[in-house]
Amino acid sequence: MDLNETQPTVVVSSPSGRISLRPMTLSDVDDYMVWATDAEVARFCSWEPCTSREEAIKYITDSVLTHPWLRAICLEDDRPIGYILIMPVDKIRKEIGYVLARKYWGNGFATEAVRLVTAEVFKEMPEVERVEALVDVENVGSQRVLEKVGFTREGVMRKFIVMKGSVRDMVMFSFLPSDPFRY
Amino acid sequence: MEIDLSRVSIRPFSLTDAHDFLRWAGDVRVTGNLRWQTFTSEEEALVFIRDVCLPHPWRRSICIDDRSIGFISVFSESGDDRFKAHIGYGLSHEYWGKGIATRAVSIAVTQVFNDLPHVLRLQAFVQTQNKASQRVLEKIGFKREGLLRKYSCIKGIIHDVFVYSLLSTDLLPLP
Repeated sequence: MDLNETQPTVVVSSPSGRISLRPMTLSDVDDYMVWATDAEVARFCSWEPCTSREEAIKYITDSVLTHPWLRAICLEDDRPIGYILIMPVDKIRKEIGYVLARKYWGNGFATEAVRLVTAEVFKEMPEVERVEALVDVENVGSQRVLEKVGFTREGVMRKFIVMKGSVRDMVMFSFLPSDPFRY
Repeated sequence: MEIDLSRVSIRPFSLTDAHDFLRWAGDVRVTGNLRWQTFTSEEEALVFIRDVCLPHPWRRSICIDDRSIGFISVFSESGDDRFKAHIGYGLSHEYWGKGIATRAVSIAVTQVFNDLPHVLRLQAFVQTQNKASQRVLEKIGFKREGLLRKYSCIKGIIHDVFVYSLLSTDLLPLP
């Protein structure tokens, strides 16, 4: 083995080949800013829209690159149009989250990314019994993504999460290893 | 045997409850569903009351004639989530099916929203086969929000649970 060879970046493509997932890097900052500065995108996220390149670099360095499981969602040209992440809830449960630049909404890209990552979680982490997602009651677009993948809509949890200072009702979705994916 | 529900009250635990505590907390029919261990001696019970129950932010003994026959615990989550609190309870097996848990939890709920004004949402997770506990919550006015699959891991077993909630605004009198 050539000791000078760097580790290849782990890239996973969806079966259709339309999107691929890879770790984010600082060189993605300009593409990151496309969605991070967009108030429409930030609306249901925990963060406020980004206002400068310096802020973006700091956020990527402090929160994105350090995240235990986060992948850029890329099109054919390998440039990110959003990202998807997995957060541990406890030993058997993981939570999935994702964000996509508005220009690419409505094309099924988030759906493909969620399907790919959910399958990967169960493969990589056999102790995981449940992948869940919490979506604001008003975020119909994101609810649709999860339904298209085959997540089960379990119910509305009232006053469940504080987002930007207000307590929101959230829809709880889940996917179990035995659930079938919808295509 | 019908119980006069005015004999039912809730109060903080005291060390002198250890003997009565063991009677229900040593019964796997009561503790099986809970994260609690099943207690095996009065000594264990005493230590637990002293080290866990007394310092607990909100735990009460369910009493009949001021003798402990069960517990109710409420604990807020931390930080930004402190507006959400989890409620759990257990009752001595001999007192099941008499409306005692409903009475005690009903008293507790009113007190909790007063004692912990930052709490906007009380939630309970009940195993699907535990119909008696579901009825307690429904009678008090908790709303069943849904079935959460493989949500709770208790003593190594993963359960589906119903999630119930009661909001501080749910208890406001009708106009």
